[in-house]
Amino acid sequence: MVTGKQGDAVNGQETRKRQARKGQIPPVYLTIGLLVIVTLLFFLGNRNFLSLYNINTILSFSAILLMVALGQMCTIVVGGIDLSVGGLVSFISVIFILLIKPMGYLAYPVSLLAGVLIGWINGNILTRIKIPSFIVTLATGGILTSLAYIASPRPVNLSPSLYSVVDLLNGTLFTVSNVLYIGVAVLLLFYVILRFTRTGRNIFYLGSNIKMSWMSGIDIVKTRNIAFMLSGLGAAMTGIMISSIRYGGDPLVGNAYVLNSIAAVVVGGTALTGGTGGVINTVFGAVFMSLLDNGMNVVGIDQYFQQAILGAMVIISVTLTFDREKTPIVK
Amino acid sequence: MTSVRARLGRLTLLRKWFPGPVVAAGVWFRRSGVAAQILTLVIVVGVFAIGTRGKYLSWANIQVILSLAAIPAIFAIGLHPTIVLGGIDLSIQGVASLCAVFVGVLLKNQFNSNDVGLWIIPISMAIGGAAGVVCGVLNTGLRIPSFIATLGMSWILYGMAVYVGRAVNVQILDTRIEKFASATLFGVPQIAILAVLFAAIVQVVEDRTRFGRYMYAIGGDEVIAKQAGVNVDRTKIAVFTIAGIIYGLGSLLLACRLGVATSRMGLTLLFPTVTAVAVGGVALTGGIGGAKNAALGALIVTALNDGLVLMHVSPYIQQAVNGVVLIAAVALTIDRKKLGFIK
Amino acid sequence: MSVGNGASRDSILALRGITKTFPGVVALDGVELAIRRNEVVGLVGENGAGKSVLMKIMIGLMQPDEGSIMLGGEPITLRNPLDAIRNGIGMVFQDGSMVPNMSVTENLFLCHENGFSNLGVFSLRSMRESARALLAELHLHIDVNLPVAEIGPAARQMVEIARLLWLSRLYGRDNPVLILDEPTTVLADKERETLFAILRDIKKRASVVFISHRIQEVIENSDRICVLKDGKNVTEMDASDARLVRIEQLMVGHSFSADRFHQDDQGAGGGKEILRVENLDRAGSFEPISFTVGEGEIVSLIGLVGSGKEEVCKCIAGLEKADTGSIFLDGRRLPMGSPSSAVRAGVGHIPIDRRSEGLALMMSVAENVNLLVLNRLKAGVLLSPARERKNAQHWVAECQIKTPSISTMCANLSGGNQQKTVISKWLSSQVRLLILDHPTRGVDVGAKDEIYKLMRRLAKEGIGMIIMCDTLEEDIGLSNRMLVMKDGRLMKEVDSSPRSKPSPQSIISLIV
Repeated sequence: MVTGKQGDAVNGQETRKRQARKGQIPPVYLTIGLLVIVTLLFFLGNRNFLSLYNINTILSFSAILLMVALGQMCTIVVGGIDLSVGGLVSFISVIFILLIKPMGYLAYPVSLLAGVLIGWINGNILTRIKIPSFIVTLATGGILTSLAYIASPRPVNLSPSLYSVVDLLNGTLFTVSNVLYIGVAVLLLFYVILRFTRTGRNIFYLGSNIKMSWMSGIDIVKTRNIAFMLSGLGAAMTGIMISSIRYGGDPLVGNAYVLNSIAAVVVGGTALTGGTGGVINTVFGAVFMSLLDNGMNVVGIDQYFQQAILGAMVIISVTLTFDREKTPIVK
Repeated sequence: MTSVRARLGRLTLLRKWFPGPVVAAGVWFRRSGVAAQILTLVIVVGVFAIGTRGKYLSWANIQVILSLAAIPAIFAIGLHPTIVLGGIDLSIQGVASLCAVFVGVLLKNQFNSNDVGLWIIPISMAIGGAAGVVCGVLNTGLRIPSFIATLGMSWILYGMAVYVGRAVNVQILDTRIEKFASATLFGVPQIAILAVLFAAIVQVVEDRTRFGRYMYAIGGDEVIAKQAGVNVDRTKIAVFTIAGIIYGLGSLLLACRLGVATSRMGLTLLFPTVTAVAVGGVALTGGIGGAKNAALGALIVTALNDGLVLMHVSPYIQQAVNGVVLIAAVALTIDRKKLGFIK
Repeated sequence: MSVGNGASRDSILALRGITKTFPGVVALDGVELAIRRNEVVGLVGENGAGKSVLMKIMIGLMQPDEGSIMLGGEPITLRNPLDAIRNGIGMVFQDGSMVPNMSVTENLFLCHENGFSNLGVFSLRSMRESARALLAELHLHIDVNLPVAEIGPAARQMVEIARLLWLSRLYGRDNPVLILDEPTTVLADKERETLFAILRDIKKRASVVFISHRIQEVIENSDRICVLKDGKNVTEMDASDARLVRIEQLMVGHSFSADRFHQDDQGAGGGKEILRVENLDRAGSFEPISFTVGEGEIVSLIGLVGSGKEEVCKCIAGLEKADTGSIFLDGRRLPMGSPSSAVRAGVGHIPIDRRSEGLALMMSVAENVNLLVLNRLKAGVLLSPARERKNAQHWVAECQIKTPSISTMCANLSGGNQQKTVISKWLSSQVRLLILDHPTRGVDVGAKDEIYKLMRRLAKEGIGMIIMCDTLEEDIGLSNRMLVMKDGRLMKEVDSSPRSKPSPQSIISLIV
């Protein structure tokens, strides 16, 4: 009983052998293994690597990266990608600082809302005008970066009288920076949304099999929009965090985050094909990226190599996690 | 019964009102594949001619536009075959940065005693080509989607570029290439003539060689192409390699024009090149659009930005306009049937 | 009516003893087919009889497990379609196999343009002229610059035929074998006549294998007819000896154990109306059709390719929009073209391709089963893992899904269990009407039985079902009533109650 176009596989039963080869070692274990190995290597290179201070630094950077990475993960799981996070981080970091003067603490919710709104716009353009996510977000990322420049062509510093507003996030509690607590809070938020809400679950269904999701009556527009709104939220949080730490905003600050957020998600084991992955994966991915970055500096590896290594890591992770069944033709 | 819209598209309605030759010309125009782009160009020129009260149409300005459009056109010509295949090439930034750095190192400069002179032309193209080969192999051998393979390569190459160039700006002291490019022949900047010739050659290859036809077959329907006997893998690798070679050429010209070689040179190239290709009418879904489309797209985008500058529009707003243009161009050229559900 | 003796009499192409098996199913079993010079061989058989597999082997898309292909008396191996073309064997697929955005000229000569090139560059003008000449041989005069997507199915077929003829000339094959797979399905009446005229013309310089489900057509336009059933040769006869009725009888008639379809458990049907379809019409797919399905009724839609039955079901499930007419579920009008409305109203759809349309393969059994009812599995605002677990376990037990655990990835289940997972997904959401598109395709015998029993139980519980099965026997055995469709029209409604099941032979005459 073979039908279908020439070149199709038989729509019959799959042999057990082929089935067993899927999902063998959860990618997350690979990441953890890699983490341990790399930590050891760095430690051997420089004992200071595992000092309390350094660990704190690593974890703080992880937390900041994690927030934008979690958002990125949502868009990747739903089957797209968000290349605008860099522009968003820059934009929010600038307007957050600018809004503190007139609005005080209200700057926090307004900035977050701005991020969510931009995500919503991304989602709508994507679904209603039917343009691939990487084009839309490439374009909006560019637009956001220029908006950041318009708002403030140079880094804008917060006047010391207003430091108290951002110091909310800056202190430490029990020798652990607040940043970490906030990171954990955001992590929990995303975890709950993705695992325990219907829309969060729909994001996975959509990424896993969009045709089936449509046939089962899942609201594709709404689900996609939420995924991109979450991305906007994550990026906004990161922008706010960065500005708090530096006491100022900078339109250049977000550029690295496109790369780094995608790397964190992919290295953590979330497949670019969508439908799999999770918060925990991304946590490990973010920690790994941060550790790699820090470690390479501590050990004295050329900063210039780092980007190259990053690129290689991404390629390797994608190769390992890409679901080839979904795309018989790899374009 | 064909709808009015379809008949209008086929210009058959015109037969009722216009004499034969006019209709034939119209059909040829439409078939040329760049009708919409030429119309757009006319509109853009028109809008800015009015907006700048004619300053836009001054010969000096036209020369500027042609001269400025040449290098983006070359990059766009390099990028578009990868899109025709149905994939994409995001490695421009990395390749351009790497080539720029080598140009700085190898041409006469103040830091070392290298002076390779015009050999830099094949060298730069070779570097680009090598990068392209790797991208192609990653895509066909390891089955990594072109989007990721080229993005990853871009990062790797940029890292290499920064390593070699150490973020130093190198003055290029050998100005022969720059002089050639900026000289004019009958008033037209030579670099623009070069770009046009280049586009013509590539277009002929696309229309009239087996390799060119294979590219379009793969972009049209890869499965069918394979069955017809097209060697898909080999064609893809060749396309990426050629793209890389062209980036190498473009990077060389750009570095020479700037007079300074820096590893940061490539960073701003991706967005305008993708926009140029899309505006030119090369469909993201593949199988449609040639070198003439890419070159025209670059011309339109350059003309647009030049006009915006002449009208004193803030550069940041320019960027925003470019973003909107990109989205619009893609929306209009994309083949929705092929995409099914958009990712 | 013997088999295979044609192989000895100056056949140019002969397939001998072809056997091909796939996991769980024997597609071809010792099939013989011989094609002689200048003849048209008609190949007929039910869906699943093995025609497409045989053809795929013939053109090199598949390799037989056993058997051989002889060309001019010499055995050959066809590793890929290009090999086949070089040996003069080519196929025009039902869906067409040309690159849509490329022109007629370009498609005609794809990959073989060397003859036109000069220093590596080819002359478009000479290509165009040759293209026009080639098409003129087939009495086709179209603009060869048009992309093939724009020239209409009849012209496309001609272009493909022209290409095959030209390629065989290129490779010096004087009597190529052209396989036409259901060519008339996409053609209008007049175009069909044109095609048959062309066939008579082509016969002078080629042989043709003509596959069609329109038996009368095959009889009128072939020299010899081969009938396949269940992957085996049934018979072979000269067209002049062929009678429609006889062929139909030979095509069907499988032997099954007495109560394979649990007919004893078949309900009476005719309960309260669940689904009412009124004058549903979709241009190009089906003409105004009306029918009802009642509680506990299993209604089977029967028809061959092009009958329109799949499209009718898609409209009911909201996957496609009809042009006119209405659908009522439990008396309420169903908005068309919206899967979510259909799902909300209680319509379930089990698609023919469960892997690409029915399941999220990378997600667990529980996640798939619970997909439609997440709203009900909440504790407060959030989803409750405990409730999810309970629901999943309940349905795994109900439908006897064999899985190591409810968190196993669906990709790791066998075909039958995957199908049962899809079914439980819909059952969980308390459907009123379930549309089952080839429910036991690719499922092993044991699981098939379980699915039949499940369907009987669902009928008892009052769920209405529309089914489209792989074999006529399955349709007849499972259903209360059968709606026979042909060429987009509802031809007849046939009663299929347990004591008076019609025979497959009587049905098949209605659909061919």
